[in-house]
Amino acid sequence: MVGAHVLFLYSLLVAGVQASVLTLQSPRLTISASDATQLRSEPLSLTHKPTPPPTLGSTDVLKLTFQVVDEEGKGVQPHQTFLRFYDPVSGEEGVQPVKVTAGGKAKFDLNMARPPASLPPTTENPLKVSLYIGSFVHDPMQFELFDLVVPPSQPPAQHPDEASFHVRPEIVHTFRPEQKVPPKFISAVFTLFLAAPWVVLLGLWAHIRPQVPHLFSPSILPFIATLGAFEALLVWYWVDLYLGQVLLYGAILSIPTALTGKRALAAVGDWRLGKSSK
Amino acid sequence: MRFLRKLLLPVLALASLALARSSTGDSVLILLDPSLKKENFSVFFGDLENKGYQLTFRSPKDATPEIIKDDVAQFAHVVVFAPNTKTFAADVTPQALVSLLSKNTNLLLALSPKQTPLTSLASEFSLILPPPGTPLISHFPKRDTPATVIPVDAPAAYDIISPNLPPVWFSGVPQALGNNPMLVPLLKAPTHAFASDGDSDSGADALVEAAEKSGEGLWAGSSLSLVTGFQALTNARATWVGGVEMFSDEFFNKEISKGVKSGNRQFASDVAAWTFQENHVLRIDTVEHHRVNETLPSETYTINDRVTYTAYISKYDSELDVWEPYSGIKDLQLEFTMLDPHIRTSLPPVAGEPGKYSVTFRVPDRHGVFKFVIDYKRKGWTYLTSSTVVPVVPPRHDEYPRFLSAAWPYYAGAFSTSAAFVLFVALWLAGDDREPKKSKGAKSE
Repeated sequence: MVGAHVLFLYSLLVAGVQASVLTLQSPRLTISASDATQLRSEPLSLTHKPTPPPTLGSTDVLKLTFQVVDEEGKGVQPHQTFLRFYDPVSGEEGVQPVKVTAGGKAKFDLNMARPPASLPPTTENPLKVSLYIGSFVHDPMQFELFDLVVPPSQPPAQHPDEASFHVRPEIVHTFRPEQKVPPKFISAVFTLFLAAPWVVLLGLWAHIRPQVPHLFSPSILPFIATLGAFEALLVWYWVDLYLGQVLLYGAILSIPTALTGKRALAAVGDWRLGKSSK
Repeated sequence: MRFLRKLLLPVLALASLALARSSTGDSVLILLDPSLKKENFSVFFGDLENKGYQLTFRSPKDATPEIIKDDVAQFAHVVVFAPNTKTFAADVTPQALVSLLSKNTNLLLALSPKQTPLTSLASEFSLILPPPGTPLISHFPKRDTPATVIPVDAPAAYDIISPNLPPVWFSGVPQALGNNPMLVPLLKAPTHAFASDGDSDSGADALVEAAEKSGEGLWAGSSLSLVTGFQALTNARATWVGGVEMFSDEFFNKEISKGVKSGNRQFASDVAAWTFQENHVLRIDTVEHHRVNETLPSETYTINDRVTYTAYISKYDSELDVWEPYSGIKDLQLEFTMLDPHIRTSLPPVAGEPGKYSVTFRVPDRHGVFKFVIDYKRKGWTYLTSSTVVPVVPPRHDEYPRFLSAAWPYYAGAFSTSAAFVLFVALWLAGDDREPKKSKGAKSE
């Protein structure tokens, strides 16, 4: 308990010796247009930000003045007097050192017609402006000054390979449209047209009534059968076979066809000459 | 096999409590400046040895052991802690270090405010260093260490740095980052820190003038990086550290705040683990492609085919020193390319089969020589690249649609012609030779 008290007193003593708190005296914000008319001028509070947030057009000038003083009121030139512009949404940041005289008087001009390199790329979101004061002999101080709205700038340049480090847009191939087939009904109707010659043929045959008395004779029927086989081979070719196969099978089939055909023709010749009747 | 591995797992885990192997090898060459004592880094080197690395120490000016001999890299990893050396030995040139990266050797390079041969090499990695003699200083927070010794918050960056680390002590140079996406910033500078050679408040004017004169402006703010990783296209990793002191025992043991030790030890261990390719290491084991209803790949594909492409991806497990199938990549993409990607589609993991990523798509209706391309690059992970060439041909003569309804009239015509021919032949051959009625009497029937 006593030890804690001693520690506390000691820390106070130490703090008293080393603590040397800086503060800003008469911080002032001025916005003027390019023709030097003043659009806005107000003192800045170190505890709350000005509302509405200062807004700059593309040719306006922002002027910030203040004086850095220690707790005795004497002007001080700290080692670090930086303004930090930060966009919390995009993460872009820029740091600008502020020129401070030996008496602690500081002045900063931001001309939007010639913005400094430290102004980061901006979007419509406001920039948070804070002031950092650091010194080798005094305690460091940080002040959130105001939110600044500036015109949007070009986005930062991207490396050409940057896109390959993220998901890339999908590419879908547009295929040629399927070939359109005419309606089946029309095909069916025209197929039926093809039945017309058969109707005529069958009608005429019914009228004539041709007779085929020799159809089942052993010299005619084999030839008709081989012709039927040839037609079957062609249908098979249409469905399944390749040219080489059909030529091979056709060549094989042509031998019995030739033999039976010869026999059939001989038989017909005989009948014509009346040599035999079957 | 899986059952055996389940049995072995606890045994191995017990046997290798602190063992964490690198996927590329265990031999580490440490180029240690003669002005630095090995004992001052005993904790860092001891941690590396406990993980299983074989450390070899050498001064940067010694001629042996060489880092590259007969065009073969002699070590799996090279650490350069040489902040005060102005010239290195003949075998350690910037070109040699870069060729080490193409030989899949990882590098851990420490910069310093003094000009070393590494200072000019850093710009090849898109790092912009401040002028020599300007280390990073920060007046925030108020503390009793010199302004050049800075406590830096170490958030979990890219899953490489452990989360919830206490702040780490840093002393060295910051690096401004170019917009190269291969850079992986592991430790960002605090917002109030900046590079300066001042040691008293009177340096304020010089600071403002230097900022206005110098081309890049002022090295300040959280856009600076203090420890930056770089993943080369060959998948070797090089990490640039702003100062060698953050690996020293003094900083490891320094307290960040009352009773809280700094996070330097864990941070250094994480940085070394990523740099030496222990974690975040992936590879494509094999890729397959085939038509949907088949299992073997075809020599060629036809346009409008449906093709299934499968990739098997593993991740390296450093504790077990094995490659395990990994299904955690959610945004893998496949490109089917002939000069330009014709199709880019996502390659999702197959549920229930670890490590397998598969997609089925329709081959475009252009013929040519296509490639299945996987090109997966994400910060912090190894790059996955795979390219499989496959020809796509137009349909063969018998692969077109057949038996179309539009052809029914033609089929009917052909069939009726055949039928009519056979009927005619039958009729002609088999028909009777009927006499005309006039000459009925002359011949017998």
